[in-house]
Amino acid sequence: MESHKQIEDAAAEFLAKRDSGDWGEVDQARLSRWMQGSTARRVAILRLEAIWEEAGRVRALGAGLQPGAVPPPGEWGRSPFFNSDNDTYETVPRSEATESEDEPRARAVDVRSETRVTGWNGVSSPRRRGLLAVAAGLLLAVGIGAYLTLIPSGDRYSTPVGGVASVPLQDGSNVILNTASAVRVELTPTARRIRLDKGEAFFEVAKDPRRPFIVQAGSKRVIAVGTKFSVRRTGEEIRVVVTEGRVRIEGVGPDAGRAVRPADILPAGSIASADEAGLLVQEKPLAEVEADLSWRRGYLTFHETPLGDAIVEFNRYNTRPIAIDDPKVASIRISGTFRPTNREAFIRLLQDGFSIHVSIKDDRTVLTGY
Amino acid sequence: MSERPEPLDTWFKREILAHEQALVRYLARMWPNRQEVHDLRQDIYVRLYETAAKMRPLAPKNFLFATARHLMADRIRRKRIVSIDAVGDLDALNIPVDDISPEQRTSAHQDLRRLAQAIDELPPKCREVLWLRRVDDLPQKEVAIRLGIAQKSVEKHVMKGMKLLANALSRHEPSRCAVEKGVRNSDARENEHGKP
Repeated sequence: MESHKQIEDAAAEFLAKRDSGDWGEVDQARLSRWMQGSTARRVAILRLEAIWEEAGRVRALGAGLQPGAVPPPGEWGRSPFFNSDNDTYETVPRSEATESEDEPRARAVDVRSETRVTGWNGVSSPRRRGLLAVAAGLLLAVGIGAYLTLIPSGDRYSTPVGGVASVPLQDGSNVILNTASAVRVELTPTARRIRLDKGEAFFEVAKDPRRPFIVQAGSKRVIAVGTKFSVRRTGEEIRVVVTEGRVRIEGVGPDAGRAVRPADILPAGSIASADEAGLLVQEKPLAEVEADLSWRRGYLTFHETPLGDAIVEFNRYNTRPIAIDDPKVASIRISGTFRPTNREAFIRLLQDGFSIHVSIKDDRTVLTGY
Repeated sequence: MSERPEPLDTWFKREILAHEQALVRYLARMWPNRQEVHDLRQDIYVRLYETAAKMRPLAPKNFLFATARHLMADRIRRKRIVSIDAVGDLDALNIPVDDISPEQRTSAHQDLRRLAQAIDELPPKCREVLWLRRVDDLPQKEVAIRLGIAQKSVEKHVMKGMKLLANALSRHEPSRCAVEKGVRNSDARENEHGKP
């Protein structure tokens, strides 16, 4: 039997020949025949092909260097790619950037210790008011539009309309609550259970294989070990967005623990909607998924979103909803980043930018076309 | 979950071969004989490819490591050189793959750095050929003219360079060169890998 070494040598010979350009149908047929000889041969070809394709990526590094001349080793370490400190290339830094931006807020709402939590919704002490003031200051400093309000009671945390808050849990996980949301937290030695009573929350789950992290939202359960995802609940319908790792969705009650159907395991980049009727999963590039969760940093991101849908989003953050009385206006597509709590600025923008007529009667704001 | 099944080969490159470094690191840690790691790796690929041809696993990376575990267990059984350590380890291996290989956290930038470094470590002539061929994207014929060597030698260098690069990139230990160039935080994170 051929050794892997022999196979690799033969595979490299084929690929180098193919790379030379001197490659005809006869050569291709010979390669095909050879590969059909064994899977070992095929995977050897695939592996070297992958490496060769990968090596093509260094072309990016050649930018700025003189073409046709080979610099001495180490020289391209000085390529602009390796010098810049803001690595737009990093895939992960995206989420890290998010984290660091979140940091001031997280610190501002450090409700980790129970003592601090329990007193919070009672009479607030001067010190606590001070803390809140600091929190508010930090929020302004980092330019987060959403204001921070967290109403913990026991292990229940909730936010009012327009509020966004970060809740560090004792196991090292972190929960970010979006507007008008409520969760109950129960940490036991065998499981970490979160009940999403209403609204939306993003979970950064600390790794702990022995204690699954279970988010229950109505009749569905979302289960993770170490990952990042959000769950949004609208009545019995849930929407799950996964930005890292994998989560599993299953039913609660009679069908609990039933065999997991393939589609119920969601990899990073998934946006899933589940209701009584079933589960609908979309897979999107991570950048898009992150944009979907930009509420964590206090703004909403729209990308060619029909105004009608955008307004529905906006209304989640405001006690005075905006209505649209004109299907033509509802179908206008908007893109951009907006502070959901800055309702007035948004309305002004629509008036100026899209020639939309705004009438305000009592508490009703209605958008119509001219 | 995608609507159209993609070709197995493409899938295999992206979902399986992309984890080669993590896999080799893992094998080197678990398998007593380092010389056999490369063979083991190829056997794992073969078994996985054949399984995936019938049914594509949903969690490819987990599946890759599970295949690795099974294959090592098989080999140990077959060889009857059962060392208690090895068996114990294999049982203990039933841990989430994310704990073994957080290399998905390494960045595209870092991959590029590794690649550049691997190219720099090639023998001089081989490096020149690969540079002109892959960075400047010159055809082999053109490379031969520039370097004043025969076309057939260019092809030989390509062949050799391909193999050397493949092995350099799957190498598990960070080379000294990387340390000298200054290990950035992401590199440091990568080193944590080795921890049990």
